Amino acid sequence: MTDATVTRPRTRRDAQFDRIRDREAKLAGTTQRKGRFLSKFLNNRLAVIGFAIFAVICLMSLFAPLIAQHDPMSPNLRAIAKPPSAEHWFGTDKTGRDIFARVLYGGRVSILVGLGSALLSALIGVIIGVYSGYVGGWLDWIAMRISEIFMSFPQIILVLLLVAILGQSLVNLIVIFTLTGWGGIYRMARARMLSIREEEYVQALRSFGLGPARIAYKHMLPNALGPIMVNITLSTAAFILQEAGLSFLGLGVPLSIPTWGNILNAAQDLRVLEQNWWIWLPVGATISLFVLSVNFIGDGLRDATDPSQQG
Amino acid sequence: MLTYIARRLLTLIPMVIVISFLIYLGLELTPGDAVSHMIPPDAYGSMDEDRLQELRESLGLGKPFLVRYWIWISGVLQGDFGYSLAGGVPISKIFLDRLPATLELSIAALLISTVLGSILGTISALTRGSLTDQSLTVVGMLGVSIPEFFFGLVAILIFALNLEWLPVGGRTLPGYDSFWDRLPHLVMPAMVLSIMMTAGVMRYARSSMLDALSRDFIRTARSKGMPEWRVNILHGFRVALTPVIVLIGFRLPVLIGGSVIIEQVFQWPGIGKEFVSAVRSQDYPLVMMVALFSVLAVLVASLIVDLLTAIIDPRVRLGD
Repeated sequence: MTDATVTRPRTRRDAQFDRIRDREAKLAGTTQRKGRFLSKFLNNRLAVIGFAIFAVICLMSLFAPLIAQHDPMSPNLRAIAKPPSAEHWFGTDKTGRDIFARVLYGGRVSILVGLGSALLSALIGVIIGVYSGYVGGWLDWIAMRISEIFMSFPQIILVLLLVAILGQSLVNLIVIFTLTGWGGIYRMARARMLSIREEEYVQALRSFGLGPARIAYKHMLPNALGPIMVNITLSTAAFILQEAGLSFLGLGVPLSIPTWGNILNAAQDLRVLEQNWWIWLPVGATISLFVLSVNFIGDGLRDATDPSQQG
Repeated sequence: MLTYIARRLLTLIPMVIVISFLIYLGLELTPGDAVSHMIPPDAYGSMDEDRLQELRESLGLGKPFLVRYWIWISGVLQGDFGYSLAGGVPISKIFLDRLPATLELSIAALLISTVLGSILGTISALTRGSLTDQSLTVVGMLGVSIPEFFFGLVAILIFALNLEWLPVGGRTLPGYDSFWDRLPHLVMPAMVLSIMMTAGVMRYARSSMLDALSRDFIRTARSKGMPEWRVNILHGFRVALTPVIVLIGFRLPVLIGGSVIIEQVFQWPGIGKEFVSAVRSQDYPLVMMVALFSVLAVLVASLIVDLLTAIIDPRVRLGD
């Protein structure tokens, strides 16, 4: 049977048939790859749970004005430090503000700071890292030295130093986190580019005469997206923890704006810690749950995109 | 080996110079100068301009920026760190007073997390896929997700306020300064500070151990009939340790960072607490010195880590 097909002289129709089969095989390959990513992510139970928690907290913060019945800023002198009740689900703080509302509204700011700084630092890190990793030369040298300078500070010392220099505000905090965070993602993007720089498809593109920017951003970047996504999720988690820590010290977002860290700041008072658990426990649990869910997502993404990281 | 050390040192020096310059420049850009921070605002308004100018001259503020930087950095090199704006205490004295506390806390946390992290990570790797492994992984994830200061608060509530086993904070009680008197004060901050790092080390030790166990020399050792525990400990663990040491070196900055917040939670009288209050009160000379020294600490730590790995693993020093 096979002999007959080999010995028969090839016709135009045979060539056409081959072409169709190749196209189909290629299509099948791509859909399979996308499906594999999704199914691997969905198979990771923790990642799915993490994503669900993440979505719930994000949505609740986003729709805070619809869910919360109280204003997060207005004090109520008739309900000072009251335990949870039907009226105030998480109780009230020492100036009678509704804690449930403050946790929801605080989530908006905390998530904005975490996610915003992570995305901004990823943007800067990727733009510089992808290009300089591919092109190399003096640009790469300079970018590398700058990132080394940033990374030789302990993160929180650098953040506090910049707070001392720039002053305390919401925008400054995002700028500071971006400044301190871009180095890690830059190095990762650069390393990734270095490892795929000599692959055959890149050489082929170069020989076609494509410009370096086009090769780097359009053709090589998609192959580095997996680790970049993982890095963005993990730095979101890290920035939210840092915001909480800084605000706890009273050096993060100004205390007048509710954030998760600012709400927890009240627990520095040992009397509050001992007698008013509802002021600090729900918000502490919310931060932990949110960061945990982001970390689970990050882990799931890593397992789904990186075949070397299994088990 | 000597050329390796020399090369590493040569890259270190320009780095320190550039960073010290940047720190100085950054704080130069902040609004106000030393004079306006030294004098209370109400007195500042009523003082006449000549007197202020005189003060500025006496502090050397009239000189150009680069000259002032040179005076500052050459002073630092000679051991003159300047004075804190709060109370005019020499910064070197603050360092001498506070540094032992921070070192005590960091070293305790480093020891706890290294030992605990490598043991738990190895157990996790050896029982891969089992219930123990899975629960350790989830616990480790919790460890890196819960804010350290929140751990600290809960620990204070349980062990200090409710059970009254341990003191709420501080480092000593007046009159009781021996190490054994101080130990109860150290337990909580050190444990809390080590949590996040223990989780990190555990995770890393697990994957490093798994990697080591899949190598050929492990199979060779097993096929020689060596008992399983000897294979795991002598061959697996030793090889798995190298990357763990590297990680611990890189974690030092994390530890310093963590101690800034933990010192605040437990009122631990260390450099971190001093740094936070310096940032709050805009005590720039002190902020500068702490930042500079933390950078030095990180750079020296990474140098030591590199040398250690070069000693353990000859491929590193012969590599390039």
